[in-house]
Amino acid sequence: MSDPVLSLTAVSKSFGGVEVLREVTFDVAPGSRHALIGPNGAGKTTLFNVISGVFPIDAGTIRFQGQDMARIPSRRRIGLGMARSFQNIRLMPHLSVIENVMLGQHSQASLAGLFAPIGLMPRSSARARARDTLAAFGLETFPGQTVSSLPYGVRKKIEVVRALMAGPKLLMLDEPAAGLNTAETAALRDFLLEVARTGVTLLVVEHDMPFVNSLCEQVTVMNFGAVIYDGPAAGVREDAAVLEAYLGRRGGGHAA
Amino acid sequence: MSGYMSGLLVILAINVIFAYGIFVTAAAGQLNLGGAGFQAIGAYCCAMIAERAGLPIWATITLATLAGGAVGFLIAFPILRTRGVYMVLATFAFAEMVAGIILNSETLGGAMGLPISGYIELDTVLPVAVAVVLAVFYLMSTRIGLAMRAVHDDEAVANLMGVHARAVQIGCFALGGALAGLSGALYALYYGFVEAQVFNALLSIFVLLYVLIGGTQTAWGPLVGATFFTLVPEILRIGEDWRYFIFGVLIVVMMILRPEGMITRDMLDRIWARLAPSRRPAQDPKGV
Amino acid sequence: MLLIQQIVNGVMLGGIYVGVAVAFTLTIGVLNFLNFTIPTLFMLTGMVGWSLSFYGLPFGLSGPVPWALALGLGILAAIAGSLLVERFTYRYFKAKHGDATEHAIPLVSSLGFLLIFEYLVLIAHGSDPRGFATPFADLDWRVAGLVISIPQLVSLGVSLAIVAALSVMLRRSRLGRALRATAEKPDTAVLMGVDVGRLVPVVFILTGLLCGLAGALFAVNYGEVNPYMGETVGTKAIAGMVIGGLGSVWGAIAGGLIVGLTETLSIHFFDANATRITVWGLLLALLLIRPQGLFGHNAIGKGKF
Repeated sequence: MSDPVLSLTAVSKSFGGVEVLREVTFDVAPGSRHALIGPNGAGKTTLFNVISGVFPIDAGTIRFQGQDMARIPSRRRIGLGMARSFQNIRLMPHLSVIENVMLGQHSQASLAGLFAPIGLMPRSSARARARDTLAAFGLETFPGQTVSSLPYGVRKKIEVVRALMAGPKLLMLDEPAAGLNTAETAALRDFLLEVARTGVTLLVVEHDMPFVNSLCEQVTVMNFGAVIYDGPAAGVREDAAVLEAYLGRRGGGHAA
Repeated sequence: MSGYMSGLLVILAINVIFAYGIFVTAAAGQLNLGGAGFQAIGAYCCAMIAERAGLPIWATITLATLAGGAVGFLIAFPILRTRGVYMVLATFAFAEMVAGIILNSETLGGAMGLPISGYIELDTVLPVAVAVVLAVFYLMSTRIGLAMRAVHDDEAVANLMGVHARAVQIGCFALGGALAGLSGALYALYYGFVEAQVFNALLSIFVLLYVLIGGTQTAWGPLVGATFFTLVPEILRIGEDWRYFIFGVLIVVMMILRPEGMITRDMLDRIWARLAPSRRPAQDPKGV
Repeated sequence: MLLIQQIVNGVMLGGIYVGVAVAFTLTIGVLNFLNFTIPTLFMLTGMVGWSLSFYGLPFGLSGPVPWALALGLGILAAIAGSLLVERFTYRYFKAKHGDATEHAIPLVSSLGFLLIFEYLVLIAHGSDPRGFATPFADLDWRVAGLVISIPQLVSLGVSLAIVAALSVMLRRSRLGRALRATAEKPDTAVLMGVDVGRLVPVVFILTGLLCGLAGALFAVNYGEVNPYMGETVGTKAIAGMVIGGLGSVWGAIAGGLIVGLTETLSIHFFDANATRITVWGLLLALLLIRPQGLFGHNAIGKGKF
């Protein structure tokens, strides 16, 4: 196997004395479709936040494409190829759909690009690319609208599009299928498979197990801030520790 | 043009520039209640340069603008350590200190004020104001403008999108200080006299109100806000006290009816859609 | 000796700021609302009081009213004004926008009310200072070479007593507990059964009461009122509140006294114009070193606006 695109070694994080992440260690292989699952409060979103640099870590190392992230501020990580979405949608409420999506291109803009009047150039290549990606998600009817007026599922998808605009090597999605109906979930899976085929590595936090099983081949399971399983998706169902975490002691076979 | 009309246009032009100085920080999510302090810096720098250096008028104005920008840049570092109400109060404290320093300085004329050698007319002020308006419109249409609005909405996510939020905020304070300083320089040169009492807390409050009531979502907001609140009292032509009373009533009513300001993005979208039905952004599937 | 006299004067001056600073801190602490009408409520009491004791009730309903009654009615006017502000700023804002980014709206509205009240008074009475005659304006107490004005001493006592009573109320009573719960976590307070909608007017009544009392004490102390009296006292009270820490009642007391002291001491060592630099410089420096103020919570006032 080639070098991992993302490598976590003994990553720990506490908030006010509560250990939220405990020596989390796992690798994400390049080009893989990797799921991060676990019960609520297991530390999945916190892990996303430390990987993307929202919070510093207390101990351990995070390497992205071999580079130590310790001194890389969050705003520079997207430029290195690490883009993400958020569990509770964090689109800019006063920006239109297309503006939100074009914000995703910010890390790639040159100095001249920063000063180009994109708002006055309806035919610019940046805008065309944003529009095409929206169309690929079936969102072509929405570009001019303010995001706050749109339904939940649509906003969820716009967040994925925004993350994609940065041309990421690692796409981190926090519960992308939450709030989507069955048909939308299937469409999202097909789209993500398509994205993965272009060489983008996926790291997905998700509760919807059928979705995870149909999308990801690699799974890391967390419970109480620690990794309890890390391996192929197929092995999860048989793993005693995972069953115990999800189903309580009875499932683990230690039960009374 | 009558002297009255040109005088009114000069006041309008100065107020518009001043309002844009406050707008650029507000558009990126920071309230600056110290506008009078920045304007005073521009005005007094202009007075000092005009008296000592004997430079051409345009060089004097440029230097005063740069001075406002430099102070805005420097003060941004301490002020950006504060948030929310604290930032409103810190900028307010800054303006009070500027006034205090002027009042205590003999070189700056103390409470007596300073006369200024040099004089400009409407034909200088108006082109400068037009240039400022166009420049801010241009800025808001660039990726930097988009980044400013993103920082306004969600600083943390803007950072994750690759926006250097802190640099944007500092840049906005510097640009805002420069524009407020420019308005001060024009004020000083037009009236030929500056005194500290003009740059008081009420002025800071008024200019912030121009911006918030005009609307911070688009570059139209401060233009409309400053124009409305400069011209309406003139049109009303009633006693000074009644003007401010009506101004107060308008503010309260406005916040009830249009809390996001007179000009909002949605409103502009609807106007564009009506003016050019063929270019409706919302219903246009594949673009033009 | 002169220095000690100045310190005494500073504490007395601070006593006036305390009431207004506590009013500011209460609205910020509970509602996260920087209410700029507070200084004008303070002024309203003084001017309404003067008007009643000079002219009597409006429309010739009575002759000049005795000073104590006039000031009492002035305080009622401040409370009424405060409720008016609540009706048209805070209630509208609360009903329509729960969003944190719209925090500037009530602030802007309160600036509108500042203009309304101030210019109404200017329209009615002009901008001249008005003498307010009370029987004991000149009572002084000379002790160990110091001159202590008895009305000022009484005012300081009254201010502190009111604030102490308020503080006990916040700590002990049901209402106080509800107020503090709302201040700390508004959402949780709602879940715990606190009726925030009914609490809001209470905050505004207390605001009016505190400003009114401070305004009345000012009138009695200085024997003079004017339409601008709110501006100076208000800005100093804001400084006091920030120095003490937003949302902290005892912080507002300490802050008010510190500002009073800083002011008289800088007049003593420099001149009257220097107070602006020292008071606001102190505030700016404190904001940078300890943004939460001397006694404040870190969380309050950190919202978008």
